[in-house]
Amino acid sequence: MPASVTNDTLLAFKAGRAFRRDGSNIVEADPAKGAILLTNGDDGLLHFIWKNRETDVSEEDLIIFPTDATFTKVDQSNGRVYVLKFSSSNQRHFFWMQDASSARDDEFANNVNGVLQDPEHPLQWGTSGSSSSSAPPAQASSSTTTSTTPAAATPGFQATPEQLDYLQTLLRAGGATTGAAEAAIPEASLVDILTPANLTPLFTNHPELVPTLFPYLPPDLPMPPSAEVVQRIIHSPQFRAAVASFDQALRTGLLGNLVRQLGLPEEAGLGIAPFLRAVQAKADRENREAGGMDTD
Amino acid sequence: MSDEEQSGWQLTESDPGVFTELLKTLGVPLIVDDLYSLDSDSLANLQPLHALIFLFKWVASGDSESGPGSSSGTYDPDFQGFFAHQVVNNACATLAVLNALGNIPSLPTGPQLGELVSFSTGMDPQTRGLVITSADWLREAHNTLSPPSAISLEGLNLPRKSEDAYHFVVYLPVMGALYELDGLKPHAVRHSAYSEDGEGWLKVAREVIEARINTYPMGSLEFSLLALRDDPLPTLQSKIQEAQQAGNRELEHELLSTLTNENAKRERWAFENSLRKHNHVGLVHALLMVMAKSGKLSEAEAKAKEAMKTRIEQRKARGEDMDEDD
Repeated sequence: MPASVTNDTLLAFKAGRAFRRDGSNIVEADPAKGAILLTNGDDGLLHFIWKNRETDVSEEDLIIFPTDATFTKVDQSNGRVYVLKFSSSNQRHFFWMQDASSARDDEFANNVNGVLQDPEHPLQWGTSGSSSSSAPPAQASSSTTTSTTPAAATPGFQATPEQLDYLQTLLRAGGATTGAAEAAIPEASLVDILTPANLTPLFTNHPELVPTLFPYLPPDLPMPPSAEVVQRIIHSPQFRAAVASFDQALRTGLLGNLVRQLGLPEEAGLGIAPFLRAVQAKADRENREAGGMDTD
Repeated sequence: MSDEEQSGWQLTESDPGVFTELLKTLGVPLIVDDLYSLDSDSLANLQPLHALIFLFKWVASGDSESGPGSSSGTYDPDFQGFFAHQVVNNACATLAVLNALGNIPSLPTGPQLGELVSFSTGMDPQTRGLVITSADWLREAHNTLSPPSAISLEGLNLPRKSEDAYHFVVYLPVMGALYELDGLKPHAVRHSAYSEDGEGWLKVAREVIEARINTYPMGSLEFSLLALRDDPLPTLQSKIQEAQQAGNRELEHELLSTLTNENAKRERWAFENSLRKHNHVGLVHALLMVMAKSGKLSEAEAKAKEAMKTRIEQRKARGEDMDEDD
């Protein structure tokens, strides 16, 4: 499906893709000439698109929620390689800059990151002083369709053992079937957070917080709500199963609507880490509004 | 079975509290209790006792679904009582209860159950099973005690854990013989006749069930037994008063103790059932907020990440399949 540079294109620049070779952790650049475009879609969502410049076909079209993804340089590579990473999933997409000169690489990357955090981010270009929301995409990609291949394209880069190690940590998630997003920093499970061992001391040290839980207890308990009842509930197999079930659902990243009902922003539904961040942010706000609290 | 084939019947826990709640909904004055022993004293304490339910699941791998099964008894294709096939797997618990209730003479029931039983008179087991499974009111009563689908997990394509469904077999007396009603078998199974003396049908039931348990290799089976019996509560109060008036202290104390235990058990069931019906997402969020407000959340998250890391490493070391959820 051809994607043209339209008014809804926030920025675009020449870039190729790189892929992990099957059965190994080596990432190899694909020589196809392409472009990365960031656009505001008809669906009101931010799209990260990779288009093949020779066929004019968009071969990747990723929808990105604010703060979920980052676009960072893979420092340990010879080439100008960048990786698009998500906090809500294990997805990794590798790209390499194809513009003749590397002078503007950082500029493009910083703008991409800015927009990934916030689609309203004002783009900053080195040449023009005042920033505007629609930066000159034409400047980036279409000055000549025949790029100066020998200089721009360095297809294929071989990673040294140290570089391989680094790539391995990024890629292990892609190889593993479930569980840790990165081998070094696995994601927490709500089941391990909401343990009686963690909760019981809280109830003892902050008894004033226990009644805040009462509205969320089952309405048809055969006894009135109390701290003892809360203790019984958090120990119960039914509650523990519900925590595991919610944990599993949250990992799908699809709970944007449900978390809004909890008074959290939609991004909180993208995964465990975004959810916990949003909860902490809300708690901090409420603490401030209440005039501060002693924290342990 | 796919979700569509489960026809909206959700998987429920096989817990006496869950069964008893279903019986209440059906308007039947019976309860279900755990049975820890088949000896005559234990069974005598539970009288009047109407049926025994044997539930089991395979734990040994490599065994086929059928297994040894019962070695005694014969199929009775002309069984005149109530016997229905299990048409939907998730409905197995409710189906077993109905196979028992449908054969208890003069049982008081609510109007819907009464209609269902009489409507199915003369039907073959398969048709009867389909009729039961299509009864919306029954399915709703059954589903009440499974977790609410505020988060509908079916549409999210989550990896399925191995199913923990038990299989249920009912043993009860019908027209002078012990019958075994198994919704997965083509017909009711007739074991021997029994004499009304002494323990009556329970003696035969004990022999048949114990023989069955002994046919399974050691450790290959997880099972439990349930008893379907009259609800003792309504009559306990009057029995206590009678004992008081007769000046029978010993009996009075014994009955009071029974009453106390029975009430404690009902409270536990009511507590667990209220948890089963409840959507806990709000509570999960509220608890995390309590942790966050008291500054304990990030520490807990960090510890949880470590725990996950250790778990993953241990699994890798054991060479286990990473697809299994924890």
